[in-house]
Amino acid sequence: MTKDASGSGAGKPRDAGRVSRRGFLGSLGTGAMTVAAAGAAGAEGPPQDPPVRAEELIKIALHLNGRREEVLVEARWSLSYVLRERLGLTGTKIGCERGECGACTVLIDGVPRYSCMTLAVETAGKRITTVEGLMRGEDLGPTQQAFLEEDAFQCGYCTSGQIMAVEGMLGANADPSIEDVRLGVSGNLCRCGAYAHIFKAAQRAAVLKHEAGGAS
Amino acid sequence: MLPSFAYLRAASLDAAVQQLAAEGARVHAGGTDLIGCLRDEVFDATTVVSITELAELRGITRQPGGGLRIGALTTVAQVAADPHVRDQYPALAQAAGAVASPQLRYQGTIGGNICQRPRCWYFRGQFHCLRKGGDTCYALAGENHYHCILGGERCYIVHPSDTAPALVALGATVRIAGPGGTRTVPIEEFFVLPGTDVERETVLEQGEIVADVVLPQPQAGQRSSYRKVRGRGAWDFALAGVALRIVMTDGRVADARVVLSGAAPVPWRSHPTEDVIRGTALEPEVCKQAADAAMRDARPLKRNGYKIPLFRGVIEEALSTIRA
Amino acid sequence: MTDRPDDRYWEEGLDVPETAAPQGDPDPWGTTDVVGKPLPRVDAYERVSGSAVYPSDLSLPRMLYGAILRCPHAHATVRSVDLTAAAALPGVHAVMSGFGPFDSVLAPHRELLQEQLFANPCLYEGEAVAAVAADSPYIAADALRAIRVEYEVHPFVADERHALDPEAPQVHQSGNRVSEPNRYARGNVERGFAEANVVLEQQYRTECEIHTPMELHGAVAKWDGDALTIWESTQGVFAVQSQVASALAMPLSRVRVIGHYMGGGFGSKLQAGKYTLISALLSKQAACPVKLFLTREETYLAVGNRPPTNMRLKAGIKRDGTLTALDFWGLGSGGAYRAGGTSALDFLIRDLYLCPNVRCETTDVYMNAGPARPFRAPGHPQAAWALEQMLDALANEVGMDPVELRLRNVPTVSQARGDTPYTTTGFAACLREGAEAFGWRDAVVRVAEQPRDAVIRRGVGMAGAMWVAGGGGPPSTAIVKVFSDGSVNLNLGASDIGTGTKTVMAMVVAEELGVDPDAIQIEHADTGTTPYATSSGGSKTVPTESPAVRAAALDAKEQLIAMAAEQLEADATTLRLSGGRVVSSSDPERALAVTELRGLRARGTVTGIGYRGPNPAGKAVNPFAAQFCEVEVNTRTGEVRVLRFLGAHDSGRVMNLLTYQNQVVGGVTMGIGFGMTEVRILDVDQTGKMVNRNWHDYKIPTALDVPADVTCVPIDQPDAEANTTGSKGIGEPATIPTAAALANAVYHATGVRMTDTTIDPARLVAALDAGRKGE
Repeated sequence: MTKDASGSGAGKPRDAGRVSRRGFLGSLGTGAMTVAAAGAAGAEGPPQDPPVRAEELIKIALHLNGRREEVLVEARWSLSYVLRERLGLTGTKIGCERGECGACTVLIDGVPRYSCMTLAVETAGKRITTVEGLMRGEDLGPTQQAFLEEDAFQCGYCTSGQIMAVEGMLGANADPSIEDVRLGVSGNLCRCGAYAHIFKAAQRAAVLKHEAGGAS
Repeated sequence: MLPSFAYLRAASLDAAVQQLAAEGARVHAGGTDLIGCLRDEVFDATTVVSITELAELRGITRQPGGGLRIGALTTVAQVAADPHVRDQYPALAQAAGAVASPQLRYQGTIGGNICQRPRCWYFRGQFHCLRKGGDTCYALAGENHYHCILGGERCYIVHPSDTAPALVALGATVRIAGPGGTRTVPIEEFFVLPGTDVERETVLEQGEIVADVVLPQPQAGQRSSYRKVRGRGAWDFALAGVALRIVMTDGRVADARVVLSGAAPVPWRSHPTEDVIRGTALEPEVCKQAADAAMRDARPLKRNGYKIPLFRGVIEEALSTIRA
Repeated sequence: MTDRPDDRYWEEGLDVPETAAPQGDPDPWGTTDVVGKPLPRVDAYERVSGSAVYPSDLSLPRMLYGAILRCPHAHATVRSVDLTAAAALPGVHAVMSGFGPFDSVLAPHRELLQEQLFANPCLYEGEAVAAVAADSPYIAADALRAIRVEYEVHPFVADERHALDPEAPQVHQSGNRVSEPNRYARGNVERGFAEANVVLEQQYRTECEIHTPMELHGAVAKWDGDALTIWESTQGVFAVQSQVASALAMPLSRVRVIGHYMGGGFGSKLQAGKYTLISALLSKQAACPVKLFLTREETYLAVGNRPPTNMRLKAGIKRDGTLTALDFWGLGSGGAYRAGGTSALDFLIRDLYLCPNVRCETTDVYMNAGPARPFRAPGHPQAAWALEQMLDALANEVGMDPVELRLRNVPTVSQARGDTPYTTTGFAACLREGAEAFGWRDAVVRVAEQPRDAVIRRGVGMAGAMWVAGGGGPPSTAIVKVFSDGSVNLNLGASDIGTGTKTVMAMVVAEELGVDPDAIQIEHADTGTTPYATSSGGSKTVPTESPAVRAAALDAKEQLIAMAAEQLEADATTLRLSGGRVVSSSDPERALAVTELRGLRARGTVTGIGYRGPNPAGKAVNPFAAQFCEVEVNTRTGEVRVLRFLGAHDSGRVMNLLTYQNQVVGGVTMGIGFGMTEVRILDVDQTGKMVNRNWHDYKIPTALDVPADVTCVPIDQPDAEANTTGSKGIGEPATIPTAAALANAVYHATGVRMTDTTIDPARLVAALDAGRKGE
């Protein structure tokens, strides 16, 4: 992930957690907006009163895939936008931007959520896991491995979302029945229609997780 | 891509209602409906007031005098999974489980679910319709497959919530927080028909939010259920649904509430059905008559005539099932 | 289908190069070591880890985000476009419309902008009107909101059934007929009906279906001086290259199109979009790379659909099940432009069953709606919906099992093509083996034994199918490079659209060179670095590319063996390549590892080139299918649960069992959507606007709408005559019979014949209710 620590060129925040968007973009273009995590460990979320004005950037801290990331965001930015276009975590996909397809599914505090329907600013201080966060170094996690073995995708564009939905489901239910699986991935569309293989992969993932001693 | 808005996260309920009293302020709880509406430009927001930090609005707690309090920020998933709700108020658990998709149930709140804006595609689409301050209800002469057959007047939406009809059936009350303090409204009186006010669906005034929902202690012999028919298995609103609360005494229906979803602009209590079943043992013939009675006053539009046989079918099935 | 074969639709409007001289055809494979096995994909790691970079994932330095403003009316003339406020927004770097301003960058493309990209008048809702590029997609959206457009709104027609009414508004000045009706006839249908014991006639309708692949349509464009690079979510990089070069008057060599991954297309991404050219021009104007991906709502309006289709079929049959006549009429609309509204619609009627007397007439009309694009088996699922329900009804009438009836009428020649023999037809095998594996006879009996008054009723149904194309053909060129360490690189131009193309091709190379498929590095779908390939579509990718790949591998192998023969002083014909070694057949002791080949080490690489030879003359190559399903219907509510599905498919040799099964699973799923949930709804009486332009109101099947039990029965019959790998396509045939099989099962369960899609609770409960009232 590219980090731009040249915060000094971006104009100093006028006060805690606030930066003028225009000024920032004007001087930095569209470069990565992550600020150095070494900075002062300030508030996890936005100030409470008065409101952050629409054109201001807000500094928030995300607990992303086990690391703390401080990011400057506009209030209207979705989590999926920040993950993909600001942090380069493009494993999370965008299919609809309206909470209808599940391609953008990530885990927030352990449960699957649509990152396109979640304001980034609302995730300040929360634990976020994306498909990249399931990797152990360069090795696939068990759910990813199960999807590989069962050919549980075709074009692969819904796949990260499906994997995250399965991951979330298995977190709540380690031994899902086929009906549990169907419900668990019912918020994730697959236009290639690989559902029957996805069901098998979800059950295979449960087995692989058991074999790994329950550690995910 | 959302238009821009100012934002704050309220530190207290008082602060929230104060901020929300301002023109153009919108409340963010789960955010699922708010973000959808902003994206579709159904309405705009000058300021988004997030109440997600307000722990006092979260959680399910048993009330000292019996009954259950569900904080407005309790997620739909929590309601669906709560053992006590499942055991004592199955209609609500089933309704919550039938909402949208797993992800939206994890994000959406019970307060938001009963306050969500209608799903009419004219209202949500690029149409300046009556409910958005225009002068036409496009559904009346348009593509009204999913619109109402009961209670329509000037506007023909159906109420989109699954949990609301269950809460009506269960006799819940809604506690509302506002700039002037809190007030309590029986949920049956919470919803507004278009004949009363075509631009809103609830009695909430600017600045007011739902704080919690309170369910009364179930009566002895109470059963409840929610059954929903939809066009596909997930992420779909009710074509027709029915929430039931039946109190059986000595094998007979002593008390009943029958509330329809997908039928009317508000969760629709079907008094004719209740009248038919009260005092009966829900014999097959009674279930059929009760289902017919529910549709007695129905007035379908051009493309939703199917709702009449569909409601008959689903009501008959629900009554037959709850008897068993 | 009279003038040109519609089975080449993926090349429409493109210059396709000629075939290279054919190489000597190798013998068909006997037993195979790799081909046919169920192997996970060679790129599965990338796809499940999130590391695969799809075009929509790309991020480049200084990259801007493009967005398109679209006409909100079904039919309107744009009177003016004012971009001033949009251009003035901080963060906006490029703006354009058909009304200018035309700066020095845009001026040379004025005609392109005015007549094509921003066509005026707008003939459908969603026609492009203006475009912007900005620092973020949020600012781009702000800019679109700041554009002021004046429209003059015109009357529209949004129902193809009324497009030919005398009072219907005219979409084009020439009227609403796209052309004269397309007619076909053989034999004499009147005589055929006279010979029949039973004649049935029925009208059918299938709704307009939208592709909605998961990855949005779009591209990233970047200029380096006069050279343009485009990363596009596409099924064919060469098709995009050719169209962009032609539209921008550039040499092909200066337009590089890359499409390594893509998130689904189903026919809607066979060619460049307006978005491709708009992204290129925005990028040129802003002098920055531009990423332009549509919103989901835009994809519902402007990038294709399966046309709505109205059909009438009259069929005659003898008591013994012999078909005597088929008389078919169809009307469809590809929207506001000539877009194949009835493309390939009557092919199944002409070709699937033996029938001496056939008459077809299809009419394509204009309407004010988004143009169609080819959609997984154009015309076929629609025709199957009619034909296969008709056969079911005929079987019922003559008291014959529907599988038996079909078996009675299986042709061995393509009647639509003047009785040209098929290279192979496994249709009868699909019917027999499919029925056997499904337990068809038992299931029929079980259903018949249900109590008459059961509320929840089961039914089984089946349908047959074939696909007009699926044999592939030239041109295709593939390159196999063997490195001095024995590792292998495969270079081909085709896109892998999710069907597993890369994996199958790696398996072909592995088969010939005796290496592990995982050890083969693949370069593909890049016009700058890979040889020409036609777009991946039409179920033709495997039968087109795999023979070229095999030829390339063989070419490399021959060179390696020649090197070994020289080094071993042996006769090349006695040597074979196995497990990374060249071994003498007569004396296994005489062997050399590939890495020991002096010639290879000296040269660094050995390069094999393979070409796709021509298809057999005087033969038709087609895949065949039969699908079977069981449903459960709640007769009170009209809810249908699909309990299980079985697809028996003859697609020639099974190249990879796992991806083959996946195609059947996916085809069935998509067919369930076509038959049960998917409808484009236009506001026909008021505005003509599409009211369900999202994935909630337009319902594609979810995990809860499909059975977990989907069985694939491959009729694994290599088609040695068709091509050198014996393969035929599977993608399209897998979805053709599905909806019809469902309709037949619902009839079987309820006695209600659903002649119009979709079979959803609303329509079925109304039909059941009407049925009860009619009794």
